[in-house]
Amino acid sequence: MPSNYPGFRYGADRETFSAAKVKALESLLIEKGVITGKTVDTILGYFETEMGPFNGAKVVAKAWVDPAFKKLLLEDCNAACEAMDFPEGMSGAEGEHMRIVENTPEVHNVIVCTLCSCYPWPTLGLPPYWFKDPTFRARVVREPRVVLSEFGVELDESVTVKVWDSSAQIRWWVLPMRPAGTEGMSETELASLLTPEAMMGVATVSV
Amino acid sequence: MFTQFEHFAATSLMGSPEEAPPRKDGHLQFDRDWEKMAFGVAIALSKQGYYEWEEFRQTLIATIGEWEATHELDDPEWDYYQCWLTALEKLVVAAGVLKPGELESQLSQLLNCKATTA
Repeated sequence: MPSNYPGFRYGADRETFSAAKVKALESLLIEKGVITGKTVDTILGYFETEMGPFNGAKVVAKAWVDPAFKKLLLEDCNAACEAMDFPEGMSGAEGEHMRIVENTPEVHNVIVCTLCSCYPWPTLGLPPYWFKDPTFRARVVREPRVVLSEFGVELDESVTVKVWDSSAQIRWWVLPMRPAGTEGMSETELASLLTPEAMMGVATVSV
Repeated sequence: MFTQFEHFAATSLMGSPEEAPPRKDGHLQFDRDWEKMAFGVAIALSKQGYYEWEEFRQTLIATIGEWEATHELDDPEWDYYQCWLTALEKLVVAAGVLKPGELESQLSQLLNCKATTA
């Protein structure tokens, strides 16, 4: 059954048509004084510079190079995040307890949660699709090694896998292992190696 | 906990995989420039009070629902930002930001202009 929406029409012209339509919309809104040329840039800038996994990556990188900070992070994640120079509200608001668990050669941690509100947004940015998937959650509890290997994480039989279920009370995330070959890297360089997946335990960090 | 409208708007869309915008490595993923603009305009208009963000959300959900009702679920033509743009078009008229037909007339001017200067 054909749709009534022009945007749903198929064909090679759709791209050109959509691009032109957005252009037309933008110019009309600017003409009417509803937005200025900069309004949209400011909003997009927020997503590019603040709402991403930057904060979590900085925390992990600092923990990799600073043993005292790492100790604090493992004992009191919120306090460690507050010690960072993050924008207001980005270190996790009061009442939102974050806990971080450390991956070691012996233990690999994975985080799950059914409710999207349990994702530590301020530190990890926007959650990936799989995070809320009921199948992912059920399977990662039942057969974590299989799920991890589907994500490309192959663990030795000797490694213990622990699964942590985030809740509104505690939002878990993972302190991944620092990869070999990163000696001498700056904190900024180290932070650039981190992904939300690594900080949720479904990826390892590599150079 | 939300200190920014942008943060609130984005997180409110994370309820289901269909409704949530494509993202990668904790960032929004835009494949084409117009997607960025459509995304930013939708948030900007709500931030400035032309409509409630929830109205946009519900319009987006309804638009996605309509697409799903008329297409196979694995239809390769599925395109999140086409639905986003359609929702935005409906709402700018419903909210009185643009008059009905105004966008179409601007669009046809733009397309004709391109055609004559090409």
